[in-house]
Amino acid sequence: MHNVVIVGGGPAGLSAALAAAAAGAPVLLIDSNSRLGGQYWRNSVDELENQNEQHFDLATGLLLINAVKARKEIEVWSEAQIWSATNDEGKNTLRVIHQGKEKIVNTANLILCTGAYDRTLPFPGWDIPGVMTPGGVQSLLKGHGVLAGKQVVVAGTGPFLLPVAAGVIKAGGEVVSLIEANKSRRWVSSFIVILENLSKIKEAFYYIKTISRGKVRAQFGYAVIAAHAADNGELESVDIAKINRNFKVKKVKNIKCDVAAIGWGFTADTSLAGSLGCKQVVAKDESVVVWVDSEQQTNIPGVFAAGEITGIGGSDLSMAEGVIAGIAAAKFVGCKVDISKAHRKRRAKRQRFANALIKAYPIKTGWQLWPNDQTTICRCEEVSLGDLKFSVEELGATDSRTAKLFTRCGMGLCQGRICGRSVVDLVAKELNVLPTDIDRISAVNRPIITPIPLGVLAQGE
Amino acid sequence: MSQSEIQFTFDDKTISALSGQSVGAALLAANQRSLRKTRFNKDKRGIFCGIGVCFDCLVVVDGITNQRACIIEAKPGMKVQTQDGSNA
Amino acid sequence: MKNPDAIVIGAGVVGACTALSLANAGIRVLVIDRGPVASGTTGAGEGNILVSDKEPSPELTLAIRSRDAWFEIDTDIGGGFELEAKGGVVVSRITKGISDLKKLASLQKENGVETIELDASTLQEAEPFISKDVNYGVLYPGDAQCQPMLAAAQIIRAVKKRGGQFIQGENVIKINSNSGSVVGLTTDKNTYSTPIVINATGTWAGEVAKLAGSYLPIMPRRGYILVTSPAPKFINHKVYDADYVANVASGEADLQSSAVIEGTASGTILIGASRERVGFKNDLNIAILRQLARQAISLFPVLTNIQLLRAYRGFRPYAPDHLPVIGEDANVLGLWHAAGHEGAGIGLAPATGELITAQITGNVPFMDPMPFSPKRFKGGEHVAV
Ligand SMILES: Cc1cc2nc3c(=O)[nH]c(=O)nc-3n(C[C@H](O)[C@H](O)[C@H](O)COP(=O)(O)OP(=O)(O)OC[C@H]3O[C@@H](n4cnc5c(N)ncnc54)[C@H](O)[C@@H]3O)c2cc1C
Ligand SMILES: Cc1cc2nc3c(=O)[nH]c(=O)nc-3n(C[C@H](O)[C@H](O)[C@H](O)COP(=O)(O)OP(=O)(O)OC[C@H]3O[C@@H](n4cnc5c(N)ncnc54)[C@H](O)[C@@H]3O)c2cc1C
Ligand code: FES
Repeated sequence: MHNVVIVGGGPAGLSAALAAAAAGAPVLLIDSNSRLGGQYWRNSVDELENQNEQHFDLATGLLLINAVKARKEIEVWSEAQIWSATNDEGKNTLRVIHQGKEKIVNTANLILCTGAYDRTLPFPGWDIPGVMTPGGVQSLLKGHGVLAGKQVVVAGTGPFLLPVAAGVIKAGGEVVSLIEANKSRRWVSSFIVILENLSKIKEAFYYIKTISRGKVRAQFGYAVIAAHAADNGELESVDIAKINRNFKVKKVKNIKCDVAAIGWGFTADTSLAGSLGCKQVVAKDESVVVWVDSEQQTNIPGVFAAGEITGIGGSDLSMAEGVIAGIAAAKFVGCKVDISKAHRKRRAKRQRFANALIKAYPIKTGWQLWPNDQTTICRCEEVSLGDLKFSVEELGATDSRTAKLFTRCGMGLCQGRICGRSVVDLVAKELNVLPTDIDRISAVNRPIITPIPLGVLAQGE
Repeated sequence: MSQSEIQFTFDDKTISALSGQSVGAALLAANQRSLRKTRFNKDKRGIFCGIGVCFDCLVVVDGITNQRACIIEAKPGMKVQTQDGSNA
Repeated sequence: MKNPDAIVIGAGVVGACTALSLANAGIRVLVIDRGPVASGTTGAGEGNILVSDKEPSPELTLAIRSRDAWFEIDTDIGGGFELEAKGGVVVSRITKGISDLKKLASLQKENGVETIELDASTLQEAEPFISKDVNYGVLYPGDAQCQPMLAAAQIIRAVKKRGGQFIQGENVIKINSNSGSVVGLTTDKNTYSTPIVINATGTWAGEVAKLAGSYLPIMPRRGYILVTSPAPKFINHKVYDADYVANVASGEADLQSSAVIEGTASGTILIGASRERVGFKNDLNIAILRQLARQAISLFPVLTNIQLLRAYRGFRPYAPDHLPVIGEDANVLGLWHAAGHEGAGIGLAPATGELITAQITGNVPFMDPMPFSPKRFKGGEHVAV
């Protein structure tokens, strides 16, 4: 019997598993990737030496992954995807697809560490092959040793653009342009935050060194606002605009590239927590996250959450939260442990750093003017901005949910993970209102967490 | 550590992949950036998120549609095809 | 709009069709809903417009007229709601089912429904992917399909263009009357005067009847529909198990379902529909999803590898005798009901609107409306368990 079930094998989930196991609680760790490590410690083979190139902090990752594998109290299910989860009077039921079959896990103690994925914004041409997310470019490199293109534009906002640009250069690619939408200076504002998070600053400089060796100069206050395809339908160039503080376009130039990696921070994947009925809230960066108390417990007793799903903050914060969640969950099942002051302090420090980043890399509403009526908003169902406008102006949709029902926007295979957030913003803009928290939270409601073959569904009990 | 090489087919071409590599990564390494055509506008699409979230990298694998190239591991002898719409 | 000739409560498909029919008759109509258009059961419906699932009865007469009326509306307002005359195929795999189906089809034929018997080989032609163990079916070319949310929205849009008005986000809390006749209604925001109120609030029609001090026994029956990922065109018609027809008439509380499978314009496949009487219970019942998936695969094995994407849930409005309620209230003059269409509200909406309009304007309706009259419920007699 497992006392604690953990979902997610990234920094948060690994840390939680080790903390719970160390406290004496047997753990089942369920992760959908084929190898442990989550989004940050992505690797192509179990022996990671040859991947060192692409990582700043692989040592920590290796340590955690190997420790998890070595502990006999921890059972790991990799390539195990939870497609549905329900909470019925205190009992949580997870329905997991593992090795082509469905398994049912019932548990009263659960730690959710389902992480995040790149946030993207729609613009004309963002669906052309060659336009990618920075995370996508990085996971191809880290996870598969493949460089996505030879001439790469890295753009968007946030510190995560640095490791991606550095990675491309290390792998022998050319970063033709590294552009950050926000002005860089803003984030230096809090000196103390920087001092207490020196390792993060070191990490940044590690990337910057590589980037400057590649003779790339970062440009601030610019954004990619359109992409163009060659005759073969694949990416040939992008339009880069100088933008003002609200992301309104000032001046545009065109540059050639074969890959554009464009990301706007991250979106937490709270679908699993939402299906269980965990309370979700809208964070400062307008992403929907899972609400937790100071012990990482959600509003459902015995269900804990850690890492990016409780707020975007990077791998260090995820680990700090994971440890606390692991201890708290072990305590919940009767192990004699407690969360120490040091643990809380570490989390608070990382949290301040995360807050500073969110402040430094805002996403301003000017982006809503980049798409035109022909621009695809929902990539899966090929719904354009014009279609969305029609649903509001002519069909009378007064919220994003109704606009979605009229247009199928967000109803495709990705279940609105890519366009959902933007649709809430764009519909609100059309209606001349601000999106409500209810709009944002209802846009991430996915009772079927991931598509499941009918044959597998039919065989289950 | 050296990884062994395996082979699979994409439409009529033979593609090499390192063991453990995804179909999508191997195709990209072979300069195959477009993986499918969309249902309505017949636009080309390729890898976008790279981590299994966006469902834009859909291919047909051994006759089964809607498979995400970016996360499905390349296996020897796999028959991978461009997905045309929903492959009608 | 000041002092409209009539107010329709509810912007579901029934309210929308009724408003259109009234507007086309020159009546200045105001539609009020507490939510956006199609935010009730219409937003969860499958969009089948069926003549195949009804035995010869007044409801079949209503269904046949309604089916044609849908195509008239499509022409009248310029479409935009994916109306398609795709035809339905009802199949059975058991001896008793087959003989019942044959009987039903011949009775329907006598009553003006086009039916074509299919044997093993013509069935395979009509539905090449159907399971090889299905050897008998009946094709109903008259069965059609639409996208119900878009239908309601496009119809409301047309109503507005024809001088009607739609107000959303107002909850009707009182229907005002004076010595037994309607004089208007009150919402949480405003009061309106009008001599005619049409209650098209579907599953909530009983509560709205109460707001006028009257009574209507309408209850919810929960249903699920599975929606798959976009798939190749495996399925040409709507295909149902003959049990579906039996299920519709049954009153058991337990879960019932029998597969109704069809493709849609967007490429997804819809698999419906379950029926349960569990009040307005909102939980996700995985057992139902599994049962629907099993039934679908047993009819179309090719669906095994197609993915489930979503499951819709909705509450069908039904009356104890499973017939819609269309007509003037038994107690309050000027209060009309157009509700309780259960699993056929989308199909029956246009003809419902026509019956209401004809009676209000004093014209001769296309059929005798008496079987649907609310007067058939005498204060509390029919209250179901
Ligand atoms: C592609 C990508 C690259 C990144 N690279 C960096 C980087 O270089 N540096 C950095 O500081 N930050 C990076 N980040 C940010 C990253 O989100 C965090 O730093 C860190 O990985 C978060 O840790 P976590 O444990 O919260 O979640 P994650 O690392 O995201 O782990 C979540 C895990 O949960 C699994 N999971 C989710 N849902 C389910 C389910 N339903 N069933 C089963 N398993 C499930 C996922 O497969 C995943 O393995 C990256 C993010 C992405 C998306
Ligand atoms: C799973 C499922 C599948 C179905 N499939 C089909 C099918 O294939 N074919 C078919 O014909 N039918 C089908 N149905 C049935 C069909 O959906 C309903 O019969 C039909 O939608 C009812 O429409 P309506 O306009 O009466 O009610 P609704 O669409 O529910 O509209 C009622 C409206 O009244 C409003 N309202 C309620 N109270 C108030 C108030 N006090 N003040 C203001 N506004 C109020 C609500 O907000 C709502 O918008 C299905 C139903 C379900 C659940
Ligand atoms: S590229 Fe997004 S799912 Fe494969």
